[in-house]
Amino acid sequence: MGCCFSNDDDKGSQVGDPHERTTLLGNPVSNSSTRPGCDDYGSGMKYPHNQRADEQSALNRILHETATNVIDVSAMNSHLEQHEYLDRARQYNQRVAATAQKYTYPQKRPSLLLDLPATEKNLSASPIPQKDLKLLKSACENAVNALQEIKVQHQEELVVQFGIP
Amino acid sequence: MKKYLHEIMSQIDGIHAVLITDRDGVPVLKAATESAPELALRPGFLTTVGMATDQAGKLGMGKSQRIACIYGKYQVIHFNRFPLMVSMIASSTANTGMLLGLEAELSSLVQDLKAAVDVI
Repeated sequence: MGCCFSNDDDKGSQVGDPHERTTLLGNPVSNSSTRPGCDDYGSGMKYPHNQRADEQSALNRILHETATNVIDVSAMNSHLEQHEYLDRARQYNQRVAATAQKYTYPQKRPSLLLDLPATEKNLSASPIPQKDLKLLKSACENAVNALQEIKVQHQEELVVQFGIP
Repeated sequence: MKKYLHEIMSQIDGIHAVLITDRDGVPVLKAATESAPELALRPGFLTTVGMATDQAGKLGMGKSQRIACIYGKYQVIHFNRFPLMVSMIASSTANTGMLLGLEAELSSLVQDLKAAVDVI
């Protein structure tokens, strides 16, 4: 068993020659300085000011949207002071009292079904006698027959001729 | 207005209280019977529900409109009518569907109260 190891610097290859340790993408730190616009930033304020403001506003907007959309359960401990609670309750009472004077109750929709106050009493009452029921039915039948027998009796002419020569 | 709330409460069996509060739990209009649980009428409880409603609206399913919480003895229905919150406390055996249907009857009243609260 053995180990093949060398800690000598590679002095054989010349500086700049590509070898197995040459990075393909180059130095990421030095690469950022080659971006267009960054040279100008370092040299003095040629970077457009309004573009910076737009980026800042976009960042603020993203931050605000994220804060709005984040579900934060731990923020549920807002406590109202007792005096503030009482003050606000009193203010609401005053405003509600002022509003109540102008308030009109919404019109109830007309309904054929009405609530009975004592349903057990009404449902357990004795039904109407059969004799009364027969009387009601015969009276209704007579009324219907009388309506059907209504006829128009023709007495005189409806169209009258005026004495026009 | 309180009389109107009591009339609405008499329509459905099992309703113990109807509260219209702001987001901090301060009652704007309250109608409650003696059987209403006192803990459910406290601002701490109502504030928590208001915040839960707001946070529930961030779950990606749209704004939360109603929350129904059914407990062992009671059920609590909340309608989200920003900046107000309508809360109804009823027995757990009450008809939940009819309670949810009361939203339409309370909408005109809540609209008038919103104008009173918005000024503050």
